Amino acid sequence: MKLRTGSAGETEALAEAIGALVRGGDVILLAGDLGAGKTTFTKGLARALGITDTIVSPTFTIVREYEGRVDLAHLDVYRLDHLQELHDIGFDELVDDSRVTVVEWGDVVAAALPRDRLEVWIELPAIPEESDDERIVSVSVHGPSWYERRAELERALAPYAGGGAAC
Amino acid sequence: MLILALDTSTPCVSVAIGINGAVLGEVQLSRRAGEPQRHAEQLAPAIQYLCAELDVELAQLAGIAVGIGPGLFTGLRVGVTTAKVMAQSLRVPVVGIPSLDLVAYRVRHTSRLIAAALDGRRKEVFYALYRPVPGGVQRVSEYEVGTPDDLASELMARGDEVLLVGDGALLYRERLLEVHRSELAGLAYAAPSPAALVELAAARFEREEFTQPGELLPLYLRKSDAELQWERGRQ
Repeated sequence: MKLRTGSAGETEALAEAIGALVRGGDVILLAGDLGAGKTTFTKGLARALGITDTIVSPTFTIVREYEGRVDLAHLDVYRLDHLQELHDIGFDELVDDSRVTVVEWGDVVAAALPRDRLEVWIELPAIPEESDDERIVSVSVHGPSWYERRAELERALAPYAGGGAAC
Repeated sequence: MLILALDTSTPCVSVAIGINGAVLGEVQLSRRAGEPQRHAEQLAPAIQYLCAELDVELAQLAGIAVGIGPGLFTGLRVGVTTAKVMAQSLRVPVVGIPSLDLVAYRVRHTSRLIAAALDGRRKEVFYALYRPVPGGVQRVSEYEVGTPDDLASELMARGDEVLLVGDGALLYRERLLEVHRSELAGLAYAAPSPAALVELAAARFEREEFTQPGELLPLYLRKSDAELQWERGRQ
């Protein structure tokens, strides 16, 4: 699904809509350049999970964990150079039915992520229509557990459609 | 010859001290469901306890045996690092044995094909298949990581009577017991056995099949050897 948001607030709201559908054990690959809004997205997702703590970028701690209705592990692999480091931080044990795991720059470590996952790519539009805060958000489902939620997800994200052809 | 054996490849902490392949004592600590793992806190006190109760000085140890996984990495590295450091500081040889072998060895008195499976998290198991042979087991597959479905398909394709063992087999028993003529070994067999490690390691020490402490590595089955490709945007 190719979606379009007009502001950081709208990107957060889109993430919140996705958050309403996530459940423990989910992994979300979050991709996008510096400043694209990956942490903004995670804030919206966290709100849907009932997390009240402020979401802070995990760039320097690599992983931050939050408690909510469903817990959240927020990873940022930006500082990693080697796939082994992902195992060193205990990634495989982090992915657990009790929590949702969001991996910023997840595309770089995709080989080590579970195949069953949601992918969210955030990009700046080539030509913004009104503001510099506009974003193109591409959401795609991978694996059986997300595939069965696909219709629900499409309904939840329908308000943001219009970013081009469906995918 | 006194040997210290330890395995931390599952949520359990397992320690044993053996002499010439016979177990003098063993400690196995499990955790309740949902409790965090405490390998780092539990391993050294467990070793100390066993040494004290069995009247064994560390300096008397002639070797260290360690389960090298495949298993949960955060626990595994505690055991492997402890084994390395102890072997180096005591100047004794170390032997690493795959943890799946330890699980299979415990149930060697069967006529069935043995499928040892340990929980790998993320809905996957580490597994290997074994045949009982006189005095032990012989591995008849590679060490694999895959979904319970992958393991079930492999077992169905083989068509043997199967004995499922290990915490991964217990966790996914509903799916795995769908395999025709399969049977499940109970909770008592779920974790790698430190006693099995004492027995299997004794043979290796006798044959002097040691590993240099510096070369002892955990057994990884997941992709971990790649440099990350930062094609874009990292400053």
